[in-house]
Amino acid sequence: MDRAWYFRFSVFLGAIVLGWLALWPSIDRVEGRPGWLAAPDIVKEYFPGRISPGLDIKGGLRLMYEVDTDRYITTQRDRAAHRLLRLLGVELGVLTEEEADAPPAAKLTALRERITVEKVGEQAIRITFANAEDAAKLTRTFLRRNFPNFNRQTTSGAPNRYRLYIPEERVLEMQGKAVEQAVRTVGNRIDNLGLREASVVGQDTDIIVEVPGADPAQFDRIRSIISRTAQLEFRVLDDAQDYVATVTDLPEGITKQAETVSAGTSNPSVTTHYLVARGAGALTRLSDYIGTLSPPDDRTLLIGSLQEGRQVGAAHADQAYRTYFTLATTEVTGRHIEDAAVSFDQQQGGRPVVSVRFKSDGAELFRQMTGANVKKRMAIVLDDRVESAPVIQTEIGGGRAQITLGSYSDYNQLMQEANDLVIVLKAGALDAPLSPANEQMIGPTLGADSVQQGANGALVGVLLVLIFMAIYYQVAGVVADLMVILNLLFLLAIMAVFEATLTLPGIAAIALTVGMAVDANVLITERIREELRLGKSPRSAIDQGFGRAFSSVFDSQLTTFIAGVVLAQYGTGPIKGFAVMLMIGIVTSLFTGVFCSKVVLDWVVRGLRVERLRVG
Amino acid sequence: MEMIKPGTYIDFMAHKTKIIGMSLTLASLSLASLFFPGPNYGIDFAGGTELQLHFGGDIGAGEVRQQLETLGYRRPDVVEVQGRQNEYIVRVREVSAIPDDQAAQIRTAIESALPAGNTLTRFKLSPGGDKLTVETSATWSVDAYKSALESAGLEVRTANALSPGENHPYEAHLIGVADELVRGLDAALGERGPQTPRSVEWVGPKAGQQLRDAAIKALLYAIAFIMVYVAFRFDLRFAPGGIVALIHDVLITLGIYVLVQKEVNLTTVAALLTILGYSINDTIVVYDRIRENMSRLRDKPLSELINISTSQMLSRTIITSGTTLLSVMAFFIWGTPVIKDISFALFCGILIGTYSSIYIAAPITEWMDTRFFNKAARA
Repeated sequence: MDRAWYFRFSVFLGAIVLGWLALWPSIDRVEGRPGWLAAPDIVKEYFPGRISPGLDIKGGLRLMYEVDTDRYITTQRDRAAHRLLRLLGVELGVLTEEEADAPPAAKLTALRERITVEKVGEQAIRITFANAEDAAKLTRTFLRRNFPNFNRQTTSGAPNRYRLYIPEERVLEMQGKAVEQAVRTVGNRIDNLGLREASVVGQDTDIIVEVPGADPAQFDRIRSIISRTAQLEFRVLDDAQDYVATVTDLPEGITKQAETVSAGTSNPSVTTHYLVARGAGALTRLSDYIGTLSPPDDRTLLIGSLQEGRQVGAAHADQAYRTYFTLATTEVTGRHIEDAAVSFDQQQGGRPVVSVRFKSDGAELFRQMTGANVKKRMAIVLDDRVESAPVIQTEIGGGRAQITLGSYSDYNQLMQEANDLVIVLKAGALDAPLSPANEQMIGPTLGADSVQQGANGALVGVLLVLIFMAIYYQVAGVVADLMVILNLLFLLAIMAVFEATLTLPGIAAIALTVGMAVDANVLITERIREELRLGKSPRSAIDQGFGRAFSSVFDSQLTTFIAGVVLAQYGTGPIKGFAVMLMIGIVTSLFTGVFCSKVVLDWVVRGLRVERLRVG
Repeated sequence: MEMIKPGTYIDFMAHKTKIIGMSLTLASLSLASLFFPGPNYGIDFAGGTELQLHFGGDIGAGEVRQQLETLGYRRPDVVEVQGRQNEYIVRVREVSAIPDDQAAQIRTAIESALPAGNTLTRFKLSPGGDKLTVETSATWSVDAYKSALESAGLEVRTANALSPGENHPYEAHLIGVADELVRGLDAALGERGPQTPRSVEWVGPKAGQQLRDAAIKALLYAIAFIMVYVAFRFDLRFAPGGIVALIHDVLITLGIYVLVQKEVNLTTVAALLTILGYSINDTIVVYDRIRENMSRLRDKPLSELINISTSQMLSRTIITSGTTLLSVMAFFIWGTPVIKDISFALFCGILIGTYSSIYIAAPITEWMDTRFFNKAARA
């Protein structure tokens, strides 16, 4: 045995030991065998990953959410109202087609003098034109083309006024759409979270989410990611108008504080007030009180957490909230976002922040908004909560922005929050808010009996193949059997390291790679046989056999691997799960089939010095 | 042991016209079967009715499933609710859908039953036909609602007023699939049977349009990339054959599946993906040997090379396919219906995948060769 062999042998041995250590903690948890093959704590410490059985095999948490379809319809109405004004602007010749998405402020004001668009109730829009000529532009054709969900109604006594409403059958259709959108968005979020084996199903006006596993901490995170609406808005603050200063008679537990801030290029330093609530229940106290206030038109008070110069890492992040006085509407929202990622802000000591990239129309709106409000503060609002309110230093072009998250005491918490925000921003906002209806723990969706019988079938199937190989190929067959077993060990070990979920499609992929591993060994052994028949010595037959079989083993597995890569990239849900397992399986079966089996066979012919290699 | 004597030469290509003809027939039959009778979509794709049942006595998920199958429900999902004994979530594909014209009649019945001045503002029948929600402009009575529905010929299980608001919503649960199912179980199980279902709801498909679109897109990309790789590693002649063989295998397996009207669900998708993987793997192995012989035996025509290569590989082909079929058979013998369906698909797919490497992929390569590469030499 030469030194090269010893080196290959130590790689082989090392891989087995590592594989076993990685897999050990997963075996430890196999049910019904408490203490059986218990992994020592030190192994668990270094290899914390475990294979988690999927929903179909082990069950998990079943969450039911009610979709607030009425709110969805209201949101759609609001969007329609917003677009209506702009599209009519084009019809009236005030705006050009290109300007419709991001109209200049002056033209918008001019337009508002000719058309008044108001929201009525939850589902209707009232539109009043300044003159009959303009009113004639709101034709049925215009509506059908741009707002197919709305019907037009004339208002008696007001000739230039119309009421646009959503007819009943459209309401039902839109409710269906709301559920569909919720299913899709929640599905994307869960996929982005890496939990590809969860299932999301629509049910009338509810959605049902089933998540595998039994880890309460993970469930908490999933709940928070699912139900978050993730409506992101950028709103300009109106610090020049000190509205809070005019608020008097503050209730107990709410105080007024002053700050000096920059409120535009002409007001570089103004004093403005805000409300603060601290301690237990501060948030509800503050938001209840704000509800009783009536700020001026087009302005609103929003709540954010009070930072008071604390750094990340400082203790007691809890329970202090303040108000921000902002414009009530905004042009730039999460809908304009193309992509999001976590990055680290060097100026804030490497604090995790979320950077976003806008779509082209969003980039233009954002440039206009920041350009028109230089040196004012802009609130970054996530689900009606102000995360941060930086001063706009200069017009921001290029379609990129950075979101600094509000106060979190701990770096890890901030990091997770940033990651979660990226997930929800990428998957998109929910147009209809979700509210949890009920939740239950469920057993395997495949049925416990199917799982048991499937496991028996797999065991018997593998055993049959192993026995056949050993009989047919004798020594080479036994080596091949060893490789099939090692292949399974490595495959499961890699799954454990990546904390992969094992599901039925995954098991199908494993079965396929076992089949391919057997095929690789068959190809090699058949080649060795052919070489032996030509009268070669066992040693050179093995070298030649491996050498010649390599291209077919490699090409066939690599082609399948390419299919796996593509399926993982473009597929969703079960397809992705299958593809990932397939790719892992191909890597391990190439390793065992081409590398490990050569190490063992070399030892057989060189170490044991067999005269005749028995390969059947 | 030697299954095939070394040096055996079988003229595989002698029968290629007949076999390709058979394959073409099978493939067109399979394609036709997708339209008629059409795939028998399971709950995963089609949605269905979901009930949560509490049974009166001890019962396992397997027994519930078995009882449901005896009652004629095909492939029901039975999932236990943990922490509550003998409670199961049952999903069946059947829905008690109400056709549009009947829905219109019901609507008219309600409108005429409403007192003057009270109008119907919303009428919503759940897609599963098990729940009807209406909203009225003024307060109405639950009893009047119920009798209006009964006069329209509906069987009402419960009717109630929902949380009063400005919309005055009323909801009625109708007798349908769920009640029939519960009655059936009660008759079969007696005291152990389920009581009134805790909930009955229509459920939408688990794999909607989005998954279907993603799957198709993924498949097309996969095919394109495989073609590029084969064209690069082998040469252009080989690429189309491999792809046609792959489509052939998946299509015929799906066709058989549809013809015997087995249910198509997410596990079927997993099985088809497995067949796809197996098919590529097998074809490339055969290609590899042809490629090798092409450079060794330059003077032989390609059809003879295919025969030589396939004969040399025959032992490997039989053993690989044989062992894989062996393990699939084990699933077929020990398995619940779900598992049997997968192993059935895999069994067909492996057989077809093996023969298509020889009789589809190789002849197409030969055809490509004569048609586009050796044209001048033959003329």
